[in-house]
Amino acid sequence: MFDRILIANRGEIALRVIRTAREMGIECVAVYSDVDARALHTRMAHVAVPLGGRTPAESYLDHKKIIDAALRTGAQAIHPGYGFLSERAAFAQKVLDAGLVWIGPPPSAIDAMGDKIDSRRRMVKAGVPCVPGLTEPVADPAAGALAAKEIGFPICIKASAGGGGKGIRVVREPGDLTSAFKAASSEALTSFGDGRVYIERYLDQPRHVEVQVLFDAHGNGVHLFERECSIQRRHQKLIEESPSVVIDAETRQRMGEVALRAAQAVGYVSAGTVEFLWSKGEFFFLEMNTRLQVEHPVTEMITGIDLVREQLRIAAGEPLGYTQAEVKSHGHAIEVRINAENPFQGFLPSTGTISNLRNPAGPWTRFDSAMYRGMEVGLAYDPMLAKLIVWGPNRAQALARMVRAIQETNVGGVHTSLPAALQVLQHPEFQAGNFDTHFLEGLTIQSPEKYADLVAIGAAIHRHRLAKRRALSPAASERTGWVARTRSEVTGYVKRAGAQEVSQ
Amino acid sequence: MKTFVEVNGRVREVELVERLGELVVTLDGKRIEVTYDEVDPYGQVILMHNGESFALSIEGDGQTTAITLAGHRYDCALEDERERAANLAARAAAKGGGPVKAVMPGVVLELLVKPGDTVVEGQPLLILEAMKMQNEIGAPGPGLVSALHVERGQAVGAGDKLLTLKGLE
Repeated sequence: MFDRILIANRGEIALRVIRTAREMGIECVAVYSDVDARALHTRMAHVAVPLGGRTPAESYLDHKKIIDAALRTGAQAIHPGYGFLSERAAFAQKVLDAGLVWIGPPPSAIDAMGDKIDSRRRMVKAGVPCVPGLTEPVADPAAGALAAKEIGFPICIKASAGGGGKGIRVVREPGDLTSAFKAASSEALTSFGDGRVYIERYLDQPRHVEVQVLFDAHGNGVHLFERECSIQRRHQKLIEESPSVVIDAETRQRMGEVALRAAQAVGYVSAGTVEFLWSKGEFFFLEMNTRLQVEHPVTEMITGIDLVREQLRIAAGEPLGYTQAEVKSHGHAIEVRINAENPFQGFLPSTGTISNLRNPAGPWTRFDSAMYRGMEVGLAYDPMLAKLIVWGPNRAQALARMVRAIQETNVGGVHTSLPAALQVLQHPEFQAGNFDTHFLEGLTIQSPEKYADLVAIGAAIHRHRLAKRRALSPAASERTGWVARTRSEVTGYVKRAGAQEVSQ
Repeated sequence: MKTFVEVNGRVREVELVERLGELVVTLDGKRIEVTYDEVDPYGQVILMHNGESFALSIEGDGQTTAITLAGHRYDCALEDERERAANLAARAAAKGGGPVKAVMPGVVLELLVKPGDTVVEGQPLLILEAMKMQNEIGAPGPGLVSALHVERGQAVGAGDKLLTLKGLE
């Protein structure tokens, strides 16, 4: 096993990796940008190396700075977390070339799954079911219209180099195709530097179900069941759970086997996720995420398997040491993402300074957070601040526990996605399991009317108290008499000049 | 002292009178029994009402205040009588028009209207890119585009004026 590893990430996932590494007796090297000098991951690591710079490109995306930091601190391996460099095959290769261990899949597997069109071709060959559509990029709107006719509306335009929901457009009417095509292509170009797009059938009432897989370097692989992530907006997930209410035991087994086959087709090693779209009893391969995912704790809660520990063991060359039959699922787990965004205003990003923070706790309640009082939430990084995960013996108890945990939590200083999650969790259709990936988009997020009167009273008293405190606090004028005299003279002059009262 | 508090799209009138150090609270003309107890100086407050205790998290400056209660967040806009009169006059003068401001920092990717255009409610005015996501900024109401304050490719901060709409007669 390693003595020391470097974590090339920030935020809650850096903390997540540090926690398991510390438990395994492995020392951690954190890297940080100027903005993150006070961040928790910087404080919790054994060694923290400044990368400098304020933007991701100058810090967490700089290949050379990160590899140099690892070599300088004597780290033997690099864990990329998710996002940033986690799915950059070129970086993974550079890590290997520097004589370090890459805690993740081989660069060839990242490459093979990174290009959506290429991966689809491989999946079809491996006998993995895929959504009807084209595997070739479409050159222009005219060619797109022709192809769409063949596939049948509604269709979906996607970026070849895409991910995270960027550059995706749904077209229901042939007339809307041209504008959607242009929008998807330009968004793909700005987000990924590659404007190529492709077209496929759009599935109605789709549900997002994904399978967690683990492969060691000796050819052993297991799946760790599914996670359902249908509560999402613009393909950004908000709530994830396992097991999924629509997957029965037979489908679960078949889906797991298909996921293993998909991963084997690219020679996969380490933890990965095979994403499927489920629609009316059928499931189709969507993509494979060749990294640890944000929602991995859901799987950890139902299986008792620490996925980061497994990643480290696999990277160190250890065999899995257990078979599929020994992996058991127990109870129900749910995760809610706490993003800095305003659900009352179309989930627009929210910025501010974290204040008035109250963390949830209690039985089977896990809080993976990078928040601290005084933390500046800007636009430089991903808006995800924390994740709240709960476990219960069944779905109903897990839902109730999550509602309780959210009500315990308070994040001040910014708007968060929590009120939206709470509204979903308390929605009868969600509780009944009737939802698809459009569920959240169809909701108007509003706080219940029953507390509104009390809130109005609270706000008015708060204002009254603030005004009183301001009036009672020793003003600058009392401390320096001449300033007060000057100010009264100026105010008098402004009043005489006919202007409105000036505030200081 | 009267305070007008807008919560959940409706304005409520709260009157506070301090009598012998006790606050007498009236909501929309009805007397309400509450006690307000600050737990800490950071915004944790206990509101007692009808023998029940409500734990509020309060933040804000008095004009815009956010209260979180049982996981639900309420964004409140507060005005006293003087501010209300001034704001009502300003709104009447603009006849439903006024400046359209950026609600978040971003880059203007595309302008979809030009001065002199008449727009309907919800019509996309421009595309603002923030966090690599393209967001359409829609018209808050019908109006005439009287001025553009930004150009294509320009970076804007939260609260910056994007364009000005003139209310229709």
